[in-house]
Amino acid sequence: MAMVRTPLMFGRLPLGGRRLLFALALTGICLAFAFPVLWLILTSLRPESGVYYVHRGTEFTLASFAEVLQDDRLLQAFFNSALISTLATIFSLLVTVSSGYMLSRFRGPAAQTWFGTIYVFRCVPYISWVLPLYFVAQSWGIYDTYIGLLLPHIAVHICFFSWLMKGFFDGIDPSMEHAALIDGCTRWGAFIRVALPSAIPAISALAVLCWLFTWNEFLFALILTGNKVPVITVVMAQFVTEMGLRWNLMAATAVMALVPAFLLALFGQKYVIRGLRI
Amino acid sequence: MSIRRRTLAAVAAAAGLLIAGGANAQAVKELRIGYQPSPIQDNSIAMFETWGAKNGIKIVKVPNSYGVYVEKMTASLTSNSDQYDIIWHNDDWGQLWAHLLEPTDDIPGLQFASKWSMDKTVFGNAQGQNTVVPMGQTFSVFFYRNDLVQPNEVPKTLADVVNTSKKLQAANKAKWGYVGAMSMNNSWFSWFWSMWGNNCDVLMPFYERDNAKLAAAGWKSGLAEPCMKETTEYWWDAINTHKISPRGMPAYDRNEANAIFMSGDAAFTVADSLWWGTFNDPAKSKVVGKVSAARFPLGPNRQKNFAWDDIWGWAIPKSISPERKALAKQMLAAMMVDEEGQMKLWKATGAPPPNTQFWPKIAAQDPFMALLKEAVLDSPDKVRGAYYFPQWPAVHKAFNDAVTKAVTGKREDIGKVLAEGQPLVTKAATP
Amino acid sequence: MFGEQQRFMLFLIAPAALLLGLFQVVPIVIGANASFRDWALYNPKKTWVGLDHYKAVITDPAFLEVVLPNTFIFMILSVAGALALGLGLALLLNRPFRGQKIVQTVLMVPLMVAPVIAAIMMRWMFNDQFGIVNAVLEGLGLEGQPWLVERWSAFGIIVLTDVWLWTPWFTLLLLAGLQSLPKEPFEAAAIDGTSAWRVFSHLTLPMLQPVIVVCVVIRAIDAFRTFDIVWTLTGGGPGRSTELFSLYAYVLAFLNLDLGRGSAAAIVGGLIILVVGIGLYRLVDRVTKT
Repeated sequence: MAMVRTPLMFGRLPLGGRRLLFALALTGICLAFAFPVLWLILTSLRPESGVYYVHRGTEFTLASFAEVLQDDRLLQAFFNSALISTLATIFSLLVTVSSGYMLSRFRGPAAQTWFGTIYVFRCVPYISWVLPLYFVAQSWGIYDTYIGLLLPHIAVHICFFSWLMKGFFDGIDPSMEHAALIDGCTRWGAFIRVALPSAIPAISALAVLCWLFTWNEFLFALILTGNKVPVITVVMAQFVTEMGLRWNLMAATAVMALVPAFLLALFGQKYVIRGLRI
Repeated sequence: MSIRRRTLAAVAAAAGLLIAGGANAQAVKELRIGYQPSPIQDNSIAMFETWGAKNGIKIVKVPNSYGVYVEKMTASLTSNSDQYDIIWHNDDWGQLWAHLLEPTDDIPGLQFASKWSMDKTVFGNAQGQNTVVPMGQTFSVFFYRNDLVQPNEVPKTLADVVNTSKKLQAANKAKWGYVGAMSMNNSWFSWFWSMWGNNCDVLMPFYERDNAKLAAAGWKSGLAEPCMKETTEYWWDAINTHKISPRGMPAYDRNEANAIFMSGDAAFTVADSLWWGTFNDPAKSKVVGKVSAARFPLGPNRQKNFAWDDIWGWAIPKSISPERKALAKQMLAAMMVDEEGQMKLWKATGAPPPNTQFWPKIAAQDPFMALLKEAVLDSPDKVRGAYYFPQWPAVHKAFNDAVTKAVTGKREDIGKVLAEGQPLVTKAATP
Repeated sequence: MFGEQQRFMLFLIAPAALLLGLFQVVPIVIGANASFRDWALYNPKKTWVGLDHYKAVITDPAFLEVVLPNTFIFMILSVAGALALGLGLALLLNRPFRGQKIVQTVLMVPLMVAPVIAAIMMRWMFNDQFGIVNAVLEGLGLEGQPWLVERWSAFGIIVLTDVWLWTPWFTLLLLAGLQSLPKEPFEAAAIDGTSAWRVFSHLTLPMLQPVIVVCVVIRAIDAFRTFDIVWTLTGGGPGRSTELFSLYAYVLAFLNLDLGRGSAAAIVGGLIILVVGIGLYRLVDRVTKT
C-alpha cells in the first residue's frame, strides 16, 4: 500500500527535537484517549470501599471479578452477546452491501427514493420508536427471544451502513463491471464476482465496527429482553437498583466485556484503516 | 343420531371437560415474578421459593433492569401481555397501575400489614379496593457519625446541623458536615426531608395526599411559599456561606453522596434505612460501627418531629387467568405470615418486614429496630414520601428543576426562581 | 411489469427494505399514530386529539428557549471538535513511525467500551469530591471545581465525553481517506516547495471532501439525538440547563409516560434534523469545495 507523507507543521525543527515533540504529543494523546478506560480498569481492581475514591488507597483485589463470576448468567450473557453481535454483523453487512451497491450504481427515481427513505429514517430519534418496538416484539411473539433481539439490531444499522456502503462502491471504478456485463456476465455475477471482491476491505472494516456497536448496545437490549436471552449490557444494567449502583460489580463486568472488544480492535484495526474508505 | 352415538358424544364431551379442567389445574405449575434484583426483593422471593418448594410450584424469577422497569412494566400491563403473575410494586406507581392490578383485599394475612402504608390513597383503585401486598417498609433516616458527635449533641434543628458541622470542621474532625443527594429522583435525601421538617411541601395544602383536596386547591405548589424560600436559602448557605456541604452537592445522586459519607468525609447524611447495613459493612464502608441514626433535624417553622414511611410491595396483574391469580394470592398470603422468612428479610436488609405482628419481637432483640419503631413506624406524625397521581414524576421533575436552579444561582434570585417554578409545577400536576 | 434492471434493483434492496419496514417503519408509524392521540402509557385511551401534542411542544418555552439552542450548540461543538481532532490525528498517523500500530489501537479504545459505562466513569472522574480531575488539580495547588453544578462546565463535560467517544470514528474514516489519496499531486507540491498549510488547505482538504461531508452529516444527525451520555452525565441538569432534545422527548415518553406527547416531541426533533441535515450537506459540500 502506498503511504503518502503529508508534510507536517513542525518540518522546520531539527530532527531530534522533532522526534521528541512527536513522541511526546503521541504519548499525551494516547494517554488522554485511554485514560477513562484505564481508570475503569483500576476501579474494577479496588475493593468495594474504594471504588469511588480510586486514588485514595493502594489496596487492590480481584474480589469484584470473583463476585461477578459467581453468577452463572454471566457466561450465558457473554455467549449471547457474542452470538448476537456476530450474527447481527453478518446479516447487517449482507443486507446493506447490496443496498449500498444499488445506491451507488443506479440513478433515477428508485435509487433516489431509497436514499431518501434511509436518510429520513436515519433522522428519527430512537426515543420515538423503542417503546413501540416493545409492543411490536410482544405482539409478534418475539419478545425476549434471539430473533427478537437480532432483527432490530440488524434493522438499526440499515440506514447508516447502506450510506457508507454506497460511499465504498462510489470509490470503486464501475468499468470492470461494465466489461463483465459485456462479456456476458449477469448483473448478479458482475455484482458478486467483480464489485464485491473490491469492496471486501471496506466490508471487513465495517464488520469490526458493527460488532463493537452491537456488543456495547444498551437500549434495545434493555427494552427487548427479559430473562431468557441475557446479554452482557443488560447484566451490567442490573447492577443499577433503586438503592443505588453496585459500581464495583458494574466496573468488573465492563472490564471483562472490554477484553473481546479489545482483541477484536487489536486484530481488526488494520482492516479498518485499510478498508474504511468512502 | 342414535342413542349410542349420543351417549358416546356425551362421554367424549365429559372426558373433554375433565381433561380441560385437569389441564387447567395442571397448567399453573409455576408462578412468574417480575422484579428488580435487590436485597429486599431477593429475600422476599426467598419466601416465595420456600412456599413453592412445599407446594410443588416452580418460582420463575424474571429480573428487570431498574432503568426501564416502570416503562416496560406499564407497557406490559396495558398490552395484557401475560408475562408475569406477580410484579414488584412501589408507592410511586401506586396510582399509575391501580386500574391494571388485581384487588388484593381478599388475601388473608393482609390485616397484619401496616395500616398507614396500606392507605387507599396510595394503592387503592377507583372502587376503593387495595392492589398491593407489602414486601417491607422503606424510609430514610438521618445518619450521624457517633465517633464525632455525642448523642446529646445530635442536631435537633437545621441550624444545629450548621453549627455542629462548623465546629467539627474547625476542629479538623470532618471535611464536610452534611452530604446528601439533591439531583432529580434523589430529592428525598436533602430537599424533601428538610422541606417537610420546615412545614413545607411540593403541593398545597402541605402534607395533603388526597387528590380531591389537592385538585380543590388548584394543584397549587408550595414553591413560592416563604418556607420553601427558607429551605432553599438554607442549602444555599450551607454550600456557599457556611461551606458545610460540598459545592458539587446539587448534582449528586445517592451513589455519590453515600460514597462520600462512607469514605468518612462527612459527619451527617440522610439515606434510606436499608443503607444501615451497607454503612456498617467493612467491605464497603470506612465508617463501620461509627454510624447512628436519629430523627430529622427540624426547620424554624416546625417543632414536632415527623417521620416518613412507605412500603415496597407485590402486585398481581389483572390480565392473568383466574387460576393463576388464585395461586398467586395463596402464595402472598403464605408470605404474609412466614415468620422465619420475614426475620431473615429483616436481618439481611434492615427493612421492617410486612407483618406488623413481628415488629415488637424484632425490636426486643435489635436496638436499631427499636429506634425505627419508636421514631418512625409508631410515629403519629408521618409524611408520605411521594404523591399518588399519574403526573407525579412530571411534578417531581418540575419541582427539582426549580429548586436546583435556585440553589445553583445567585442567593438574591432564589425567591424569583422559585416563583417562576411554581406555575410549572402546577401545570405538570394538572391532569 | 418490471424490466430486468428494475428487478435487479428491487432484489438488491429487498432484504434491507423488509427489515427496515418491520423493525423501524412499523414502530415509528405506531409512535407517529400515538402522537395524534391521547395515549398515556398507563392509560392508553387512544382518542384522537389532532395536533394538540405538536402545538404543546412547539409552544413550550422550555423547548424553544432552552432545549433547541442547547441541542444545536451541542451538535456544533461536538461535531466540530471531533472533526478537528480526528483530522489532526489522521494527519499525524498518516506517516509511518515506530509504534504507529499501538497508537492506532489506543485511539480505538473509546469504541471498545459501552458509552453508558464510559459516561458513568466520566461523571465520577469529574465529581468534585472523589473525582480524579479535582484530585489532580488540587495536587497541583489549584482549586477543584464543582464541574457538574455550573451550566457551561457541565456542558463542556458532555461535549468532551462525546468528542472522546466519536473522535476515533473521524480518525479512522479520515485516515482511510488520506491513505487512498493519489500520491502525484503531493509529490509535485513537494518539488515546488509549497508550504505545509497550502498543501493541507489546497490539496488534502479538497481531496478529502467527500469523506468529510459524509462524516459531518451522519455525525451531526447522531449528535442531534444524543441521549444516553447526557442522561448519565447530567440528566439535563443543573435545572434544565443542559437538556437536549432527546432528553426532552425521553422525559415526556419514559418519565411522564405520555407516549403521545413524547412521540410528538421526537417527531418534531426528527423533522428539524431532517431539514438541518440537508442544509448541512449543501453547506459542507460548498465549503470544502472552494
